[in-house]
Amino acid sequence: MSSQAIFIRRRIINGFAMVLSLSAAIIGLFFLGWILWTTFSKGLPALSWSLFTTTTAPPGEPGGLANALVGSLVLCLSAVLWATPVGIAAGTYLAEYANHTKRGELIRFINDILLSAPSIVLGLFIYTIIVRPMESFSAYAGAIALGFIVLPVVVRTTDEMLRLVPTQMREAALSLGVPQWKVTTNVLYRAARSGITTGVLLGLARISGETAPLIFTNTNNQYWSFSPNSPMANIPMTIYEYAKSPFEDWQQLAWAGALLVTLFVLLISVVARVILLRNRVQND
Amino acid sequence: MTEITLSRKPSTVQGDVSALNAPAKLTARNLNFYYGDFKAIKDVNFDVAEKCVTSLIGPSGCGKSTLLRIFNRIYSIYPGMRAEGQVTLDGENVLDPKYSLNKLRSKIGMVFQKPVPFPMTIYNNISYGIGHYEKLSKADMNNRVEEALRQAALWDEVKDKLGQSALGLSGGQQQRLCIARAVALKPEVILFDEPTSALDPIATGKIEQLFAELKQHFTILIVTHNMQQAARCSDFTAFMYLGELVEFGVTETMFTKPSKQQTEDYITGRFG
Repeated sequence: MSSQAIFIRRRIINGFAMVLSLSAAIIGLFFLGWILWTTFSKGLPALSWSLFTTTTAPPGEPGGLANALVGSLVLCLSAVLWATPVGIAAGTYLAEYANHTKRGELIRFINDILLSAPSIVLGLFIYTIIVRPMESFSAYAGAIALGFIVLPVVVRTTDEMLRLVPTQMREAALSLGVPQWKVTTNVLYRAARSGITTGVLLGLARISGETAPLIFTNTNNQYWSFSPNSPMANIPMTIYEYAKSPFEDWQQLAWAGALLVTLFVLLISVVARVILLRNRVQND
Repeated sequence: MTEITLSRKPSTVQGDVSALNAPAKLTARNLNFYYGDFKAIKDVNFDVAEKCVTSLIGPSGCGKSTLLRIFNRIYSIYPGMRAEGQVTLDGENVLDPKYSLNKLRSKIGMVFQKPVPFPMTIYNNISYGIGHYEKLSKADMNNRVEEALRQAALWDEVKDKLGQSALGLSGGQQQRLCIARAVALKPEVILFDEPTSALDPIATGKIEQLFAELKQHFTILIVTHNMQQAARCSDFTAFMYLGELVEFGVTETMFTKPSKQQTEDYITGRFG
């Protein structure tokens, strides 16, 4: 084959590959755009101040999402609150104490399985070990279930971010005679801080719309409740129940809730991005 | 500083510095080092003269960095690495597990190839190590930080931005900060592991000038790839090849009339 023919063939293959990857990107973006468009076009008209001031109400009566919004915030933050320290500790163990060991690789593998475990399985697990023995659905069972979704995310990011810290920084700190735990907490955490924070935020974003783990653990509550021993109102379950209801006003609330969750996730993703970017600029 | 008259005797095969009229600060005797089953350092005898600059040269993989990393036991953070033999600092065997790592590392500082400032302010980079050993008042700490930065010839460049992140400094400044960080602990020996190989020629020149001043206070051991650097900066030079110390002697003698053929081949660029 002449070099000209090879060149033309490569141009054709190149063009073909470009068209394929471009159409894949367009298909992905198209559906994302469609989802966002639907959420916004149905959710925006349903947004009003009363969403934030009144609680969920029986069909036909004016109601909002105040209890569900606060409940979701409490549930998600409690989940992040317990899963973050445990996850950072485990990630630190993997990166700093068990790196390059069989045990470390095994734990990493198991953590990756947990990372991709279906959330409904986690919900069923908490149902079996907590809800059944306690004989009641409860907010803390919900927070524990949600935490198990955040946990592997934090373990993974802590592990990865710490392993990105150059070995020489560890050696430099150790060569000052500083003990390893102090090197980890004073130097390495500082170097990996933005990455770990991003991991925690992404974990929070991930659970803010999770419904499956709550179905078997927390369920939902029509009223205000701050007791950890009883179900707490929350957005995902409210969306789930209201969206499939036959009542027009409940469906409206479901759309509003969906929009709020979407905006929340968007906000957190942007914040996470900004933290990472700012850190990159600082390091350059 | 003890005045050392360097004799012009022919260089010795093994690194006994007493034959060269300089007191030994750090000595290695029958030293072997293993990465798992691989023997990287073979029966090395080697002295580092007090308040002098000693260079370790040799082709890549000859074990010079490995040897350097034995002296402050930094290798011990990795599993599967072990040293056999004796390394003494002022007559005490530092490889003895009973010799405290804390004490060892306060006496032997280290500067690495890549400048790695900690992700904190310039001031805290220096005070961090000091704070681990001594509880100083704010004023005393300020003095110590200034003194260390002056010794590393960095003070004038950073005195107005001590509160800024050390990551904003240039590569050469970062490396001098790392030197200041090591100097701040008032160690007796400072190990340099290819300290200029990541720097441009101007930054390299500044660091080379520093060695002459630092050796007034510290015993210095440098691993370098750069033979000219060894020739310019050091009083003694050791040539290593395949884990063995081939030749050791006064730098001038080593570079003008080495006694071993391998040394001559290396310094004349025939291999490595």
